[in-house]
This record gives sequence, structure tokens and C-alpha cells, in this order.
Amino acid sequence: MTVDSAESRPVHSWRATDLALPGVAVVPRVEPRIARPAALRFPIDVPRPAVMQVDLLDTRPSVRSFCFQAPVAPPPTPARRRAHNSDSAATLLPAQPSKRSEAEGEAEAEAPAATPKRTRIAPPADVVKLSERFFYLLQPDLETILETSSLEFPRQPFPFQFDGMAFLMPRHGAVLADEMGLGKSMQAISSIRLLVRSGQARRVLVVCPKGLVSNWTRELADWAPEILVAVIEGDQQRRRWQWSLADVPVKVANYEVVVRDRDLIAELGLSFDLMVLDEAQRIKNRESQTSEAVRSVPRRRSWALTGTPVENSSDDLVGVFEFIAPGHLNERMSPKVMGAAAADHVLRRTKDKVLKDMPPRLNRDERIELTPEQRETYRRVEEEGVLRLSTLGEEATIQNVFELVLRLKQICNFDTFTGESAKLDCLQADLEEIHASGKKALVFSQWVETLGRLRGSLSRFGALEYHGGMSTTARDDCIRQFKTEKKHSVLLLSYGAGAVGLNLQFSEYVFLFDRWWNPAVEDQAINRAHRIGAAGAVTVTRFLSAHTIEERIDEVLRRKRDLSDMILSQAGVPAASGLTQDDLFALFKLAPPRAPAIRAAA
Amino acid sequence: MDGSVEVGRRDAAAGRRAEGSLQMEQKSAETVIGAVVEPRAYGFLTVVESGTHGVFGGYLLVDPWGRPLEFHCTAPVKVSRAQQILFGSTLQSHLHGQQIGGTLLAESTVTPDVVLTDLEPMLHVRSHTKLPVALVREASADLPAATFGSLGGTSSFTIGNASVRPHATDAARGDDLRERLEELAAAVDLCEPFERIRAAIDEAQRR
Repeated sequence: MTVDSAESRPVHSWRATDLALPGVAVVPRVEPRIARPAALRFPIDVPRPAVMQVDLLDTRPSVRSFCFQAPVAPPPTPARRRAHNSDSAATLLPAQPSKRSEAEGEAEAEAPAATPKRTRIAPPADVVKLSERFFYLLQPDLETILETSSLEFPRQPFPFQFDGMAFLMPRHGAVLADEMGLGKSMQAISSIRLLVRSGQARRVLVVCPKGLVSNWTRELADWAPEILVAVIEGDQQRRRWQWSLADVPVKVANYEVVVRDRDLIAELGLSFDLMVLDEAQRIKNRESQTSEAVRSVPRRRSWALTGTPVENSSDDLVGVFEFIAPGHLNERMSPKVMGAAAADHVLRRTKDKVLKDMPPRLNRDERIELTPEQRETYRRVEEEGVLRLSTLGEEATIQNVFELVLRLKQICNFDTFTGESAKLDCLQADLEEIHASGKKALVFSQWVETLGRLRGSLSRFGALEYHGGMSTTARDDCIRQFKTEKKHSVLLLSYGAGAVGLNLQFSEYVFLFDRWWNPAVEDQAINRAHRIGAAGAVTVTRFLSAHTIEERIDEVLRRKRDLSDMILSQAGVPAASGLTQDDLFALFKLAPPRAPAIRAAA
Repeated sequence: MDGSVEVGRRDAAAGRRAEGSLQMEQKSAETVIGAVVEPRAYGFLTVVESGTHGVFGGYLLVDPWGRPLEFHCTAPVKVSRAQQILFGSTLQSHLHGQQIGGTLLAESTVTPDVVLTDLEPMLHVRSHTKLPVALVREASADLPAATFGSLGGTSSFTIGNASVRPHATDAARGDDLRERLEELAAAVDLCEPFERIRAAIDEAQRR
């Protein structure tokens, strides 16, 4: 601190005067003004303000880039292009008439009305790479892909069929488990067609039951007419040549051929971009030769088509998955866990969900009393059989029980001694009316022998037979006659050969003369008639002999199906409902042997 | 077109597309028999705003049949409050047009005939590219008219279900753009590819 000094004081002149005052000299001192107060100085150290820098968005963000291979496909023809200045959304061209329909008078489903629905191909859950997921996400919708690919269809697919194609196309492992009659083959063929056209598949193998080979070739000709197809058949030399055809994109073989040519396929070094199994429940048993042979074929994509991926138990689905995604499922999984694990690979639709306007299916359970003679024969055989089984006790095998069940079921059809049949009487009465009205009926039985007897009795209705004992040519000829010739009102089919793959939607009546062990197989049979294209309501009559083994089997199967429906509905998997060993013994109130339970009937 | 058409290889992507053009029955505008085949390409540019991540940019290039050729997407750009205040009303156009749009267009190996966007601020990308840029909206939606200000133009037109307004710089090329876009619009709705971009960016965010 400093004090201001006198330097700054102003100078004044002044004169001293002697006032003769004693002793005191007063020196007047006059301050010119009041002195300023002392100034205090405080050094103030004010820091410079910090400068905040605001990023002005001048840094370019990082970019990820993805390039895609354009599909090899011709551009659209002008007629197929989206109409401009039109109120309607883009639609496929009106369906071309089916050559098959024209030739065979087959009723085709009306093409659904134009819909704005666009189907996106979503990447499957097991596609992990972002670039691959983008490949699917950035594709145009399926309808646009079809419109711009100059693809013609015999009829416009239903929206749920587009969904099916969008499900199959991106998947390397897929189970299309639609209910019978919803067009699994058509969806698979259209997807094959798109993959072949886009260059994503050059070698495709379709494997189906022997009886369906001609059906597949027909469907391929309808839905993918421009794609060359070779059927693998004939002697070994011929098959070797057919397998070797490099410029044929699609090959069709039956299961037996694949088993037989397993080594040949390996020897020729064949591999396929896509392998499709029709009626894939054929490989539900993983230990079977068929399953092993099919799984040994080198392939990139594996699709399974089946209306009944679970016929008897969830193990069936594990068997199918060993083909499409080995190891993905195992039999230790609970149904719920298995359903969740399978969900992304399985697509299952039922008619009631997707075809609101499909003609109804009218079920009629006809409980028929046996004729007195039949009843007597039945009673005697049952009593003797049960007595024999009881005598055998622990020695009784499932084979013993099975034989008795079959014997009793046969008596329910025809009395083995008198040849009487209450079911036949009832069937004849119904057929009179059907025949008179010009309609057609299908009659299913599990025995070829029964079919033969029926044919003799139903000759006035022009009854034809179709079963596995006939050659493929004979069976094709039979179907052709039944479709085209009015005089044939009845087609008699075995469950084994006639329940799968046939399109008989012009038939309005189905009779189950006897019951199969598994309702899923019965459903398959019924759906030969009740499928897309059905002209009217389909009436299904299930004959059931009252107070017989047939009623007891029906009760067991009904109970099991209800339970399975409850467990598996979440997984979207159809019900399991076969008879077990315990079920079979229980039919006669017998205790099963203590050996591990085995599957008894499918 | 017969198999004698020479296939030019502009770049890898173009080469792949050219492979697809071997079976062409119709030739596109630039296609001349015996000359280089370069199917047209169209760019679709937009952004997706995510509350948690920021703004993602997406740029999809498609062929005249709507099939994807290339896709580019940006890492998310997060705008701070300070940037919002400082850029004010110019934030969107700067962010979309320059930062994101300009960056994405620079990454592309395919040169499209036109770049379409469904966002008005993205039109500012025109200042950073020589490519024509146009705003596309559903025909039912109101396309901003006077709101373009200096960027505005009046040469809008409708194709199918879409209204298209070229950037003012390209207003004089309206007829040419229309002709080019009609080829694409015959296959796909011009607003539809933006949905694909959004789906892809949603997917990228989930991964």
C-alpha cells in the first residue's frame, strides 16, 4: 500500500506578521482543500475465458458398403409391366389357362382378386452375415420379382402361397408343412423356378414317392414350363446317363432310386444346389436306409415337404431335421423347446386359416351296426383271440395283438365266412345317389383285398382301383380315366398309394371304408378331394362299426390328437397321434409286456 | 437381343449387372447393339433417425427392375444441442445434404441416372454432386411447393403413385428425368425402395 505524498500539493505564497503575542507563535497553515482519500490498488487477476469448440459437423461419417449380384433374368415384357396412371396396385397378369385343366376338365381355383398385399422375402434367422441379410431385405417384393421376370403361371397364386415362396427361397433348410391341399408342390416348384432363373440353383433334385413321380413331372410342366426336367428311371446304365445330364436343371427321382443309386451318386461326384423331398415323413426314421441314402447326397439347400412332419411323435420331426439341419433338434428336447427351435425352419398353414372361402368339408361319422352274421363272426374271433393272448400272458407280443386287431377290422369290412358287409350296403346306397347326380366319389381302404371285393360289388358305378400293387402306367391310366370318363363315379384307393400327392379335387365325396391307424394319414386321403380347386363342399363319410375294435381305436386316437394339439400348437407342428404298443394292448384291456415301448402303428 | 452383344465392364458391379442383361429383349436407353451395355441405375437416398443412436444415412442403387445393385449406409451421426442451436434452420439441410448425402454418393461405384430422396433437406445434396436429384413423395401426399425457397422448382410430375419434383437445378431436365424414371416405375413404386432402406437400417441397428 502507498500513500499519496505532498508532491502534488499546490504551492501558495504567504507573509508572516508579528502580532506580538507572547510566547506563542501560531503559524497558520491553510490546507487548500480536503485531501483526497488514499487510493488503494488491488491487482485483479481475471483469467482469460476458456474457448469452447463446437463441432460443426464437418467430419464425414464412416460408411459401410454392400454390392449385390443382380439375378440373371430377362427384363419384363411391356405387357407385364406395372400400369401407370392406374388406380390399381400392380398385379400379376391374369393367369394363363392351365393346359392340364383344359385337357382333363379339372376344376381350377378362381384366381384371387387383385390385392395390394406385397410379400417381402425376410432373411432367415440363421443368416448371420449382415451383407447376406441385406441381400434379402433389399430385394423388391416377391410379386415385383415375379412380374419383372416374365414368369407366367397357370393361375395366380394365392397370397399365402406367395408367403410360402418367400419362406422357402432364402432358406437352406426348410420344412413346408402346409396342410394337404394347399399347394406345397406348386410353392416348391415356383421357388425352384425363381432360384434357377436367378442363377442361385443350377442343379436341383426332387425326391418323391414312386407313385408321385408322374404327378411331379406334370406339376413341373405346369408351373415351370421352361425348365428342363429329367426323371431318373430305368436300368442302371440308363440311370447313370440320366444322373450325368449336366444341362438339365431339375432331376426327379423316387426314394427307392436314391437308395439304389447311393453309390452311383457318390461315384459320379454329384452334388446339388437344392434337394427337395416330397412326403418327407418317409425319412422320419433316421436309421432307415432311405433316410441314410437321402442324407448322403451332397447338397447346399435342403427342403422337406410334408403335411405331417409329426405322424407319431416329435421324434419324427427330429428325423426330418436330420436332413434339413442336422443336429438342430434332438429327441431329448421337450415339445415346447423343440417347437421353438424348429420355428424358423417350419412353415405350417391350415386351410381354415388361409382359405376362408374354401368350400367346407362336411364330416359325417357313420356308425354302422354289423349284420347279425358279421356280429357273430366278430364275437367269436374276438373271444378266441383275447383268450389266446391271455394264455400267452407275458409271452404275448405286439405282433400277436396286431394280428388280432387286423383280423377284427377285416371282419368289420366283410364277414370272412359269409362275405356280408353292412358297410358295403351303406356305401352302395350312398353311391346310387352320387352316381345319379353325376358326381364322383373316392373310397379308401387299407386293404387291397377289400378294394378288390368292393370293385366287384360296385361295378355298376364304374368303380376303378388304385393301389401300390399296380404299375405306374396302370395307375396313371386309372387316374386319367376317372377324371375324364363320366361312367366312372367311384375310385377305390388304398391309403398307402392314394393318400398322397394326387389331385382329385373334382371329387365331392370321400368315404373312409375302414380307418387308418393315424388320423394324419386319413386327413391326407381326404385332402385328395378337399384341396384348392375343389368345386364345392366335400362330404367325408367315415364308416365306423359300432361296438367293435374300430370304435375303441377311434376313441384312443381322438384323445391323443386332442392332447397333441394342445402341446404342439405353439410350435405350429401338426398333431402326433399314432398308436403305441401300450395303446394296442389296452384295446383288449391287456397289460403290455415289460419291454421298452415301441411305436406300434403309423 | 442376341448373344453377340458385347458386355462392357465399367466396374465390378456393372459387370455383374451386365451379366444379367445378356438375355435382354428390350434395350434401355443407352444400350446399343455391339456397344457397351450399361443398364440404367437409380439411386435412393434417405436417412433414418434413431432416438438412441442418431441419424443413419442409407443409399440404395437399383437396376431398372428394382433389384439392388449396391447399398451404402453410414454410421449414426449424433447432433448435439449446441449444433442444433448454431446451425438453426440449416441443420437438416447441412446434415442430410452435405454430411450424409454427400458422403454416401461419394462411396458409390455405380453412377445412377438420378438420385431420388423422400426428404426435402436431402435435396441439398445437389450442391455436392453433378447427378440430378429429385424429391419423391406419394402422389396423395402434399409435395412442398413454395417451401423449396431458392431450391424450389415447379417442374414436378406424377408417375404411377409417386409425385416427383426435380431439384431446381434440374428443373429444365424434367422431361428427360420423367422418361428415365418411367422405366423404373414400370417395375416398382418409386416410394417403395425407401422402405427397403429403412428395413435394412433397422436390421443394422439390431445387429
